[in-house]
Amino acid sequence: MIQRLFDVIIIGAGIVGAALARELSAYAMRVAVLDKAAEIPSGASRANSAMIHAGYDDKPGTQKARFCPSGNRRFHELQGPLDFTLRECGSYVCAFEEDEIRHLDALLDQGKRNGVPGMEIISGDTLRDREPHASREIRAALWAPSGAIVNNFEAVLAFMDNAQQNGVELFLETQVTGLLCSEEKQEVFGVETTKGRFLAPVVINAAGVHAGEISRMAGEESVRIRPTRGEYFITDKTVGHLVKGFFFACPSAKGKGITVASTAEHNLLIGPTSTPQTDLEDTSTTMKGLEEVLDGARKLVPDIPSGAVITSFAGVRANTLSGDFNIAVLRKPRGFVNVAGIKSPGFTSAPAIALHVVEMLREELADRVIMTPNPHFVPERTHIPRFAELSMEEREALVRRDPRFAQIVCRCETVTEAQVVEAIRRGARTVAAVKIWTRAGAGRCQGGFCGPRVADILARELGIPLEEVTRHGGHSRLLVGRTKEYWFRGNE
Amino acid sequence: MTDIRIDVAVIGAGPAGVAAGIGAREAGAEHVVVFERDWDLGGILQQCIHPGFGLHTFKEELTGPEYMHRWIERAHGAGVTFRTNTMVFRMEEDGSFWTMNPNEGIRHVHAGAIVLGMGCRERPLGAIRVPGSRPAGIYTAGTAQRFVNMEGYMPGNRVVVLGSGDIGLIMARRMMWEGASVEGVFEIMSWPGGLRRNIAQCLDDYGIPFYLDHTVTRVHGKDRLEGVTVAKVDANKKPILGTERFVACDTLLLAVGLIPENELSRMAGVQIHPVTGGPVVNQCLQTTRENVFAAGNVVIVYDLVDWVSAEGYKAGKNAALFALDGLPKATRRFDVRGGENVRLFSPQWLSDQEDATIFLRVTKPVEQRCRVTADHGLFSKTLRYARPGEMNEVHIKAEQLRMLPPDVREITVDVEEE
Ligand SMILES: Cc1cc2nc3c(=O)[nH]c(=O)nc-3n(C[C@H](O)[C@H](O)[C@H](O)COP(=O)(O)OP(=O)(O)OC[C@H]3O[C@@H](n4cnc5c(N)ncnc54)[C@H](O)[C@@H]3O)c2cc1C
Ligand SMILES: Cc1cc2nc3c(=O)[nH]c(=O)nc-3n(C[C@H](O)[C@H](O)[C@H](O)COP(=O)(O)OP(=O)(O)OC[C@H]3O[C@@H](n4cnc5c(N)ncnc54)[C@H](O)[C@@H]3O)c2cc1C
Repeated sequence: MIQRLFDVIIIGAGIVGAALARELSAYAMRVAVLDKAAEIPSGASRANSAMIHAGYDDKPGTQKARFCPSGNRRFHELQGPLDFTLRECGSYVCAFEEDEIRHLDALLDQGKRNGVPGMEIISGDTLRDREPHASREIRAALWAPSGAIVNNFEAVLAFMDNAQQNGVELFLETQVTGLLCSEEKQEVFGVETTKGRFLAPVVINAAGVHAGEISRMAGEESVRIRPTRGEYFITDKTVGHLVKGFFFACPSAKGKGITVASTAEHNLLIGPTSTPQTDLEDTSTTMKGLEEVLDGARKLVPDIPSGAVITSFAGVRANTLSGDFNIAVLRKPRGFVNVAGIKSPGFTSAPAIALHVVEMLREELADRVIMTPNPHFVPERTHIPRFAELSMEEREALVRRDPRFAQIVCRCETVTEAQVVEAIRRGARTVAAVKIWTRAGAGRCQGGFCGPRVADILARELGIPLEEVTRHGGHSRLLVGRTKEYWFRGNE
Repeated sequence: MTDIRIDVAVIGAGPAGVAAGIGAREAGAEHVVVFERDWDLGGILQQCIHPGFGLHTFKEELTGPEYMHRWIERAHGAGVTFRTNTMVFRMEEDGSFWTMNPNEGIRHVHAGAIVLGMGCRERPLGAIRVPGSRPAGIYTAGTAQRFVNMEGYMPGNRVVVLGSGDIGLIMARRMMWEGASVEGVFEIMSWPGGLRRNIAQCLDDYGIPFYLDHTVTRVHGKDRLEGVTVAKVDANKKPILGTERFVACDTLLLAVGLIPENELSRMAGVQIHPVTGGPVVNQCLQTTRENVFAAGNVVIVYDLVDWVSAEGYKAGKNAALFALDGLPKATRRFDVRGGENVRLFSPQWLSDQEDATIFLRVTKPVEQRCRVTADHGLFSKTLRYARPGEMNEVHIKAEQLRMLPPDVREITVDVEEE
């Protein structure tokens, strides 16, 4: 059995694990990030509304209210250095009824106390001057200019990529199956995984919906995740212009309700539903979900055509009883840290949570981990060139550098072979990972054309037979074998 | 950046584009270039290795590659230039466009006239909103066809086909030939989407079950597809409660319709018809931008390749005439309207300068004698039946159009039971 030695192990490479890995990479220490998935992001960080919330939703005094506005600021700060797409679109909470307008006042007040800048309540007509497709029924809206939409794929990759440049090691398809502790769970010294043992004096639980199980391995029962599914639909870019800002209906008892937004790439994102379920992993979509989402979205923006949907997806929220984040260094076993119950606005909060966890390590676990600066720390990185977004001159320059930039792989999103090869060089191992890195397959034909081409390039670059290429790791192979071999295998 | 000037540019080297190249050369254009993003010529026909092509043109049953081989030889003979592995990735409003390939880099092409021949693409799962998880093993029938016929790989062992378009029917049989089991073809409509001939030759002959008024209501499986839930649908196409059943399979092939590939056409500012999904054209295959012509599946999805080649040739010829001395101006213009039981048709308007063929599809099947007519007595023909999966044509002579009374501005085409 292989054993590997680290200073800190992070379980989970969602936005929380990735942001934390990046902050820890500023210190001279060996950090391992373990994730059971074959690509990142895979959990809630893959399937959410991609909103960088302004920070008016949460009660002052909660951890959410503390980390959301500061996380928002940090996303704005890091966008340039880490090179991910963040669109400063601002957000509207829309009120249809009298009592909802009163609710806007309460949100405005709460936002001010949480330190959210620039908020104001505007009339329905002012809203429609700015956003001509907004419903005529909307009577007033709370405008928060610091609300932004992020490319959530790129953001997670950016944090992790930068962490890896600074020496952090990422282990994919490595599921944590147990915690290694001393007698009586006094101290933690590593984890057991499907790929062997990883040893470290500090283990951080950032396992998203699975944080409850990991916490239980440490003997801490208080983290109870109640998974709640949210279904979404993505439309073709031809209707992406319907809105500029991020639209929320006035929140109800069920949560923030259905939202409508133009994504970082100008598709329209509509959703999510809110359906409690028992399965932690079930991200399937339903007929009912679609109807609910379309109805809800049309309340805000009546012009959304149903024919424009190109795909659907669902995310699972890591809801907890307390409703707040659960971030704590456990007393027992020493060295174990929970960063659990990170539900919305968890994506927004993650970079602020990361800085906070670094502080906690420094203050509470100084005996187990030494925090000296990493002399080789590079705070910035660049994403793979986004060919589709460049000017003709910039494209020419790339093509002169590498002719593979002139070889289109995905025609819907104009992704070139050079981008796919670079994604593989940076760690993409599956068709889904290439999509996450480059958007190949994310367009209107959903990979019908480029899927086989991406698979070919993966096989070539990884030096594996085409039949071994998977969609998303595990048993998700694209092909079952060569046509003629089929006969030789007999009737298995 | 290199600028290139040519007489006629054709985008796409499928049957439409290859024939357009020939048409343009034979009408006198000097420098005719066909741009094709694929490595080889032939478009979708490269992967259609079954027979059934060219009955009208060559009076023989050829396979797709055989059929294309003849046209490509003819194109070479006519002096058409081909640029393969070259993607047209951007188009400007003036009709100039940008190409790229790894040898030549990026080029800006200016042509006297352009023929759009980009064909169509298949509708993905998301577009028809089948809920469930997203495992491996869900393919459009065309993607699977490419894997099996061109690359020699099997996408799966146990297959369900959703939709009864021709590609799906042909792939059902093909998978069977390769030793897979095909659990059934499920079609949401009350009639087949593809040709009757393909239902008989691909399903009936092989005992593959065919279910009309059925759809897939959910896909199951996390890594690889494990099965689908199918259900019968009511008159509103809603699944009927209690009719759901699970069908185990590791592969779902989608044959749920084709969408003309018109992203470039939109960039060129060409008007797109909301029903066909292709450019609005007249019988010269001229779009609403006078230097831009279009032919083949990019305009309307055809079921016989012979029509595609014929229309492509015509588009190329007219593009060349336009580039050389301009087409004769229409003195009169007639809008075409779809009347009784007509779902799609093309062209959408006629000039009085050229003979015209109008292609059309019916909305619902008529399984008895019926008539296709164009009003003002321009056309009338009796059919033995009319089915949505099979296209009909209407031929009108230019002089008939010129003889119409001056107040006639519209021509309505109907399909009525006798
Ligand atoms: C529907 C929905 C909408 C949302 N909208 C927003 C929004 O607009 N704005 C916002 O700020 N927040 C939003 N959120 C919340 C946000 O997405 C989450 O708070 C955030 O992504 C949580 O990140 P994470 O890193 O904690 O978890 P995850 O992203 O779920 O990552 C956890 C990782 O742990 C791995 N893992 C789990 N168990 C193991 C194991 N045993 N071994 C190894 N690896 C393991 C998983 O594979 C996964 O990669 C939304 C959430 C949902 C579901
Ligand atoms: C499975 C199947 C079975 C069929 N069976 C029969 C049959 O039995 N008999 C029959 O008569 N017909 C049959 N057909 C129909 C016939 O094949 C089609 O009508 C015909 O191929 C359409 O030709 P096209 O040139 O319009 O499009 P395509 O063949 O799709 O060609 C379009 C070309 O344009 C290229 N292109 C697109 N965009 C660009 C760009 N931006 N830059 C450069 N190049 C581009 C594409 O790569 C492609 O090569 C069948 C079709 C299928 C799919």
